[in-house]
Amino acid sequence: MKRVLTLMLVVASVAAIAVTAGGATAASAKKQDTNLSGAGSSFVFPLVSKWIPALGSAYGYNVSYAPTGSGAGIAAVTARTVDFGASDAPLTADQAAACKGCVQVPWALSATSIAYNLPGLNCILRLTGPILADMYLGNVTVWDDSRIKQINPKCTLPSTKITPVYRSGNSGTSYNVTDYLSAVSPTWKSKLGVGQSVAWPAGVGASGSSGVAATLKKTEGAIGYVDVAYALANKIRFASIQNASGKFATPGLRGIDAAAASLPKKLTGDGAFSIVNPPKGNPLAYPISTFTYVIVPTSSSKAADLRKMVYWAVTRGQTFGAPLLFQKLPLQVQAFAFKQIKQINS
Amino acid sequence: MSTLTPDPAAPAAIERRGIRLGDVLFKGVAAVAAVGVAAILALLTYKIFALAWPAMQEFGLSFIWSQDWNPTTNVYGALVFIYGTIVTSFIALLLATPLSIAIALFLTELAPKRLASPIATMVELLAAIPSVVLGLWGILVFGPWIAQHLEPWLQSWFGFLPIFSGDPSQAGVLPAALVLTIMIIPITSAICRELFSRVPRDLTDGSLALGSTRWEAIRRVAIPYAAPGISAAVLLGLGRAFGEAIAVTQVIGSGNQINRSLFPPGDTLASRIASTYQGAGSNIEVQSLLYLGAILLVISLITNVSAQVIVNKFQKARRMSTG
Repeated sequence: MKRVLTLMLVVASVAAIAVTAGGATAASAKKQDTNLSGAGSSFVFPLVSKWIPALGSAYGYNVSYAPTGSGAGIAAVTARTVDFGASDAPLTADQAAACKGCVQVPWALSATSIAYNLPGLNCILRLTGPILADMYLGNVTVWDDSRIKQINPKCTLPSTKITPVYRSGNSGTSYNVTDYLSAVSPTWKSKLGVGQSVAWPAGVGASGSSGVAATLKKTEGAIGYVDVAYALANKIRFASIQNASGKFATPGLRGIDAAAASLPKKLTGDGAFSIVNPPKGNPLAYPISTFTYVIVPTSSSKAADLRKMVYWAVTRGQTFGAPLLFQKLPLQVQAFAFKQIKQINS
Repeated sequence: MSTLTPDPAAPAAIERRGIRLGDVLFKGVAAVAAVGVAAILALLTYKIFALAWPAMQEFGLSFIWSQDWNPTTNVYGALVFIYGTIVTSFIALLLATPLSIAIALFLTELAPKRLASPIATMVELLAAIPSVVLGLWGILVFGPWIAQHLEPWLQSWFGFLPIFSGDPSQAGVLPAALVLTIMIIPITSAICRELFSRVPRDLTDGSLALGSTRWEAIRRVAIPYAAPGISAAVLLGLGRAFGEAIAVTQVIGSGNQINRSLFPPGDTLASRIASTYQGAGSNIEVQSLLYLGAILLVISLITNVSAQVIVNKFQKARRMSTG
């Protein structure tokens, strides 16, 4: 027993020496490394993952990002356990107050897809906002409902029961979807409203995009929502949604760009821009598009580096988005972002 | 004993040696530890109630029987979660108690030694599975299995009962209750096994010698002997079931309604706190979540106190019957 202990001690000390030595050489090799940690939105994670190596080679930043969900990201930056948070939903008044001197910067633009599990369906499903609202309200319960049939004349829809799947807990994707449903359905607006979590009256909750995807995959007749990058990466089928012009649009780059075109030329306010259900005149517009935000404390020891990082993200960083279905920020949003970034100072 | 009759064999010197430093230190450390734990409990309870106070003032006691939980209108009530907590825990207990007693009896009374000890280890290892891993298994394997096989089966045989009506769902109250069952079996069965192994051999042997069968000896002697301990074990399991958050969050589906059926999603106090505390949109939502925490705390305290009362009662009864 004693010999075993001695042996373990020797092994442990050798390991410790190796680790400290290794650490020392690594540190001396790249002295100007700055660690920047972030957490939050899983929506923007695919894009941030592309940014991390690029930021490393451009500025020597060592950025880490945990896709814990928008709610958790807001909580983490409020508690200052990370250097920046990311959320697909703008801060609420109480959250902004709790964060004490945080600024939110729109830094990416994409869309939420409406995914479904209907094996053997011979077409791409089309949906309208009011039908989607009624599915989530529990009013439209079967797939061969006359309203769904009417807009899908070429599909043979099964009589399977509809199981709406929503995100449990607080989610920026839920915010985007409820924002859209409130815009298209007065019943939704008055009964449930907009929020990172609402009192879902029907269906099943699942945690995270991956939880929604898992539930979708295992439940025939399920309908759910995930960000389009996630749907694409996991080969999930998604519906085309009718916009205000009466056309059925898909969450592609053109659809997102057309939705963002509805923004006014001059932007003011605290940085929360909604582009769901854009008005008539953009026949390509995908109606469930959204900006997603980075939340940065205005004063911190790393403020100068954070400012540089966010500036890079809203300029150079935008060119990385296309393969992941992130559209470039419109010029006026970029200009607004610059204004917000100026508030970050050390 | 020493106060009545001083031990004549003990050297008188020890009693007169006075207080030694070691004794003082030990006494001090022990006292600080004991008082410290009590103080932490008191402070924690105080703090939770203090933080929840604005919500308590806003909604009053009607919070407890209100079914609304609506972050957009900022109207909150706890009934859905209290119901979910009680139903899932009660079902888990209903299933886990007989199973645990059966496992314990098998291991102590029936199984050959060579089989008993590996099985006992396996059952205890069940407790070592982190609840989040159990929850993942619940999402990916157990939940779908319940929705595709167990719930249709229950429905075909017992569909006339409202609790087994409606559409099967892979996330819901029943999967949560079953995951909780798996989580509390190792705790209760380990305690029960310990209890049964402490039943004096003389008692069971005597019973067997008087002509009772194995089953009668277990039913008339071993189980009554272990009864107070079993009830305490059951209540310990209940405490665990009440407080479990992560695994339940993963399989219960965070529903916002009370359903008569066990198939649709629901939610418990602990899992609602775990799933929505981070990133809660308003101060009143945070305070309402703390209000839920306060309710959970009170329910848990009541269960623990009643566990002690039950154990005491049993022990008194046993003393009366034997003495």
